[in-house]
Order: sequence, then C-alpha cells, then structure tokens
Amino acid sequence: MTDGETTGGEPLTGRVFRLHPLSVPYRLVENGLGLVIAVLFIGPPAFGAVAGTVGVTVALALAGGLAVTVVVYGIAYYRRFEYELTADTFDICSGVFARREREIPLGRIQNVDISQNVVQRVLGIAELRLETAGASGSEAQLQFVGEERAGQLQAEISRLSRDGDADAADEATDRFETVFEIADRELGVLALVSADAQLLSILFVVGSVFMPTIGSIVGAEWFFGVEAGLSGLIGPLATLVGILALGLVYGAINATLYYGFTLRRGDEELRYERGLLQRYSGTIPLGKVQSLTIEENVLARALGYASLEIETAGGSGGEGGQDTSQSAVPIARRSRVFELANSIEPAGEMTFERPPKRARERYAARYAGVVALLTGLLYLIQSVLSASFYWWAPLGLLLLVPVAAHLKWRSRGYYVGENHVVTRNGFWVRQLKVVPYYRVQTVLSSETVFQRRRRLGTVTIDTAGARSLVGNDAAAVDVSSETTERLREHVAGALYDSLRRRRREASTRREEPTVEESAATAEDSG
Amino acid sequence: MSVDRDGAGRPRDGGTVKPPLCHYPGMSDPSGDGTAEDTPSASPAAPSSGDPETDDQPSVAAEAGLDESIVGVPRELASTVRLQWIVGSAIGALVAGVVLGVVGYVVSERTELLAPGIEPAARIGIAAFALFTLFGVLRAVLLYRSWEYVVRADSLFLSRGVLTRVRTVVPYVRVQHIDTTRSPLERLLGLSTLVVYTAGSRGADVTIPGLTPERASTMQERLERLTTESEEEDAV
Repeated sequence: MTDGETTGGEPLTGRVFRLHPLSVPYRLVENGLGLVIAVLFIGPPAFGAVAGTVGVTVALALAGGLAVTVVVYGIAYYRRFEYELTADTFDICSGVFARREREIPLGRIQNVDISQNVVQRVLGIAELRLETAGASGSEAQLQFVGEERAGQLQAEISRLSRDGDADAADEATDRFETVFEIADRELGVLALVSADAQLLSILFVVGSVFMPTIGSIVGAEWFFGVEAGLSGLIGPLATLVGILALGLVYGAINATLYYGFTLRRGDEELRYERGLLQRYSGTIPLGKVQSLTIEENVLARALGYASLEIETAGGSGGEGGQDTSQSAVPIARRSRVFELANSIEPAGEMTFERPPKRARERYAARYAGVVALLTGLLYLIQSVLSASFYWWAPLGLLLLVPVAAHLKWRSRGYYVGENHVVTRNGFWVRQLKVVPYYRVQTVLSSETVFQRRRRLGTVTIDTAGARSLVGNDAAAVDVSSETTERLREHVAGALYDSLRRRRREASTRREEPTVEESAATAEDSG
Repeated sequence: MSVDRDGAGRPRDGGTVKPPLCHYPGMSDPSGDGTAEDTPSASPAAPSSGDPETDDQPSVAAEAGLDESIVGVPRELASTVRLQWIVGSAIGALVAGVVLGVVGYVVSERTELLAPGIEPAARIGIAAFALFTLFGVLRAVLLYRSWEYVVRADSLFLSRGVLTRVRTVVPYVRVQHIDTTRSPLERLLGLSTLVVYTAGSRGADVTIPGLTPERASTMQERLERLTTESEEEDAV
C-alpha cells in the first residue's frame, strides 16, 4: 500500500494506490462549501429552534457531531478508495458504506483526461478521468491524485493499452512529436471568431427590428429634448455594443481555455494540453477515432481559419461544460487543419457533390414561409397590443431569401472516397464530417413529405462517436432520391469491404514483426 | 440452431412474403412471383456486396449457413399489429377525451363559454375521442402498409414511415445484442417486438414491432448467429 507521492522510478503496475492526501481537505472544502453556506443561512435559525426545544448544550453537541461526521466521512472516503493499475486492467475499489469494485479493461479505454483548476494547481493535485464507450459519463473519476502521478498514469495506461506487451512498447513511449502549438496570433483569432456567428446574426436581426421601438421608449425617458431621430439610433447602437461586448467576453474566456494549446503525436495516440487558469490534458487514441469534424464559422472562413475535432466513442464528459467537445485543434490555418486531418484519416482530395438544384427551391420556399409567418405574427401582436411598429419590416427579408437559399444549397455536399465518406453542411457554421467506412454503425435514409415532393432525401451515417448522441451525425442532406438509395447501400457495403481489408492488413502486419522479433532474439542469443 | 433449418428453408410464419417493391442491391430476386414461401428453389444467386475486389467473399448470411430463401425476401408485419396500434391510440384517445370532457365540464360550470350541464362537455369529450381514434386508425393502416423489413445477406434492412419515410440499414457486424419484448397488449394479441442494438447513437431506433413470438425468437436467434459469424474484434 502506498500513499501520496512516494513512487520514484518504480513501476506503477501491480501496486495498490490511494488518492492524494490533500484530496481530503480539498474535497471537504469543495463539498463542504455548500454545507457552510447552508449553515450560515439556515443554521442560526435552525440552531435557535433546536436549542429552544432541547437546550443549548444538546444543540451544540448535535452541530459538533454533524461537523465531525462530515470530516470523518471525508477521511473514510479517502481511506476506502483504492486503485490499482495491472497489466491489462485498471481496478478501483471504492465506497464508504456501499462498496464497489470496478475493473476497466485497458483496451477499452477511449480517453484519459486530466484536469486541474487553479486551486488544484496550487495544491499540486489533479483530477483523472477515464472514458470508455459504455458509460454515459466517465467510467472512472479519480478525485484527486498528485499531478505527477496523474501524468504517469496517463502515460502508463496508454502505453499498456497499446498492446499488452510492455517491453516492445517501452521504446515507443517517448516518441512524441509536437504537431501543433497555438500561436498568440491564432489565440487572438480564436477569441475573435469563437463567438457564435449564428447567434450574433439572430441577435442582430431581432435587435434591429425591436430595438427602435424600445429605443424610442427608453430614449423618451432618458433624453428629454433630444431629437427623436437620435433616440431611434440609440437602441440599435446599444444592441450592437452589447453584442460586441458579449462576444469579446466569450472570446476571451475561450482564449484562456485554449491558452498554450499543444498537440503532440505519438505512434498510436494524440495528446493535448491546454488552459491558462484551468489546465486540461488528454489522450486521443488514433486507433479509436470515430470521425473527424472540420468546423469553420463564417468569420473563421473569411479569415482562412478552421478547427478540427476528433471524435472517439468516449463518454462526453458531462459536467465539464465547455470541455465536452474535444477540439483537437481549436483554431489553425485551414490548410494546416486539412493536413492534420489527412494525416489522421487520409481521405485525400475531396471533391464535393452538391445536392440537385431543386433543393435550393426547397430552401427558398422554406425561408419565404418563415418570413411570412414572422410577418403574420408581428401583425397579430401589433393588432392585439394596438401598438404601432413596423410589422411589415420582415418582408424586406424576402429580398434575402434567394441569397440565403443559394448559400445554404452551396454549402451542402457529400464526397464518397475510397475509404471515407465526407459530408458538408452549414453556411454559418460549416461542418465537414469525415467518417471512415469501417466506423459506420448504421446507415439510414429518410424522406419527409416535403422532400418526397421534390424527389430528395437525406442519408444519415451513424457512428459510435460521443457527439453523435446529440444528433450531430454525418448527413448528406437533400440529395436526389436515387443518390439516397445508392449512397445508403454503398456506405453499408463499403463497411464490409473496408473491414475485410483492415483484417487482411492486420494479419499481414502481425506476421511481419514476428519475423523481425525472431531475428532480434536470434541476435541476442548469438 | 436446428430450429431454423427444420422447415426446409421455408420462411417461418408471421411474416407474410410480399413481392419486392423495388430492387435493392444485395437482395436476391424471388423471380417476381412472390411465392417464395413454398418454392425454396426459386431464389437464385447469393447477393454480391458490389465491390469487384471482394466479390468472391462469401456474405455473412452464407457464412452463417443461412438458407438462401430467407435472405433478401421483403416481409411485412403481422396484420394484427394494426389492432395493437389502434388499441394503443384508442387508449390515448380515451384519456384525451376524458381530460377534455372534464375540462369542458369545469368551463361550463365556471364560465359562460359553454352551456351548463354535463351534455356539452360530454359531447366535446366524445368528439375528441372519436377524432383521435380516427387519426389512430388512419395512422395504423398507413404505417402498417409502409412497414417492410428484409433479412439481407450482410445487413438488416427496415423501411417504414408515413409522413417521413425512413429506411435503415444495420450491418450484422454492428449488432451488439438483440432483445425481444412483449408488452401486455402484445401478449394479448400474440405479438412480439424485436429490438436490435448497435453501438451507434440511433441504435434504439432499430425496432421491428408486430412479429409473432415464434418469428421474433427465430429472428433473434438467426441475427445472433449472423452477428457472431461476422465477428469483429474492435467495434468501437
């Protein structure tokens, strides 16, 4: 049994570890914080009430007992939490009252993530999370281990999970090369670009429609004697400034999250580190990549930047908030992103097939319908409230409808490669999804009534990726119904072909090293 | 294992064989007469996967030793499934009718919007019930007509949907496990539902309702065989 940081250079496997001792006070404070607040707010009256009925000494004893219980539980949690790394599993034995023993086969681990907030960094502790495909959240969560230990565990787990053979993998451990390092300039671009463009545009439209009215109301109260025309300007101006400020704050937060982002590549995995205040690091095993997403919003596209996201089947981290989506590269020059994507999944040169032109008519009809609906709604509101505002203003948007329809149509597309199928969607946020055939789970095609009228259909390619849980699957939208049939059957068929190819390759690869190894052992003995 | 072969390759009961509406790749052609049920010899040629390089590879179904007459024949659901859906929607309609009736009664008691008394409220409730039931019947009939599933050489194929037509291809390699479930209503009507799970997010979507219990268990067993036959070491 080993506590704390007394490992030195000894191997990590085959020994039972406990969490870092400092995790006891940290967890106490963290979990106790809510309790402390509760005590401060409802404590005195509750204490008074209890003291009133049973007497001050008894109440004091009760309060003291409560505090002691919390502390004892914290210590007990620490005492009863043990983990062990064996050659092929990661075992955790935990629980104060209800005990749980969990064995996680190393080969099934998708990602190993380490996160540290500021306080944890000062204390030198870190949270380690293991993600597998099965669990909805993290399969294992170690709160908290020493930061050094966390790094060792991360490295060791990925080394052992590569193949059970510890000796052969030993050499490969340190062969990491830095693939990407975020530059200050890119961080600036990230801050600028990361504010969601779609949100901005919606806010802008809403603002320009409603703000004049609000502006005139507010302006009338605030600026007596100021000309009506000027007060009409204040509304939109305020909106614009507000939006910009919001965007900048959001961008700045994003910039701190991705500060110092480095992506390193080993033989079998990618490893990233990021964060200014809160540090994150994680592993992405290349053998478990489900799909790649290259994303660029309007702003990023205009500047020639894009981001890359690598999806594994690992649980989507749940509580993490921003770190649920695993950006492999938060922002980089478009060419570099494509280069990196190609080195992970060699999809080659992609030539996209656009949906037929009649899809464009569909979008135009749809947008015109939305505009009509909006106008009708505003008219209704106006006549109910008997207020007068420009309810017909949205009709001006009709001019934009053909443009919008064209842009939407233009940004859609699909590409059927030798080993991959790629789909492209979205104007405001353009997403390229690269799915290798051998990762396809199911393929489904759907045709709504409206699509059938124009002989169109949608093909959705489902993978086991964590992000596809939120309906973010690769989809070829509004392709012709013949293509729908063809694409669906092609992808399903290509799955088998690529599986067979991979199996053949794997078997030949397995044969080759054995020859070398036997030669090596012959040399050794000779 | 033997359950499947004892019928001399005859498709098991429950699913009535119907002629294919269109030709799917990877589907054998039952020579258009739609009577594959009694003529196991009528289904030729194992289907090909479409890639010239791997054409010589036997399909998963062939490797699993599945009778070729089963493979690639489109099937529809048992006709009693309509009754199941209708009863299901009628129960929903009943609840909606009662709720609306009660609301109508309260409204008529409290306000002037409705004539007082139980009668107008009851009329509202009955009208709602009738409307919802009619909708349910229509939906059941159309949905039944749209349903079709095919046990293909390499994958399971489902096609259904009234307003939005959805066709799903589930390659056997991707099947994680298979459930058959029977709700009380299904037990009453002698029906069963087959649920095929994959690691994909839409795995739970692959559900075939309206199978006879025998057919469901045959399918389950058959799919399990196909799945183990097409075993792949690293699914995710």
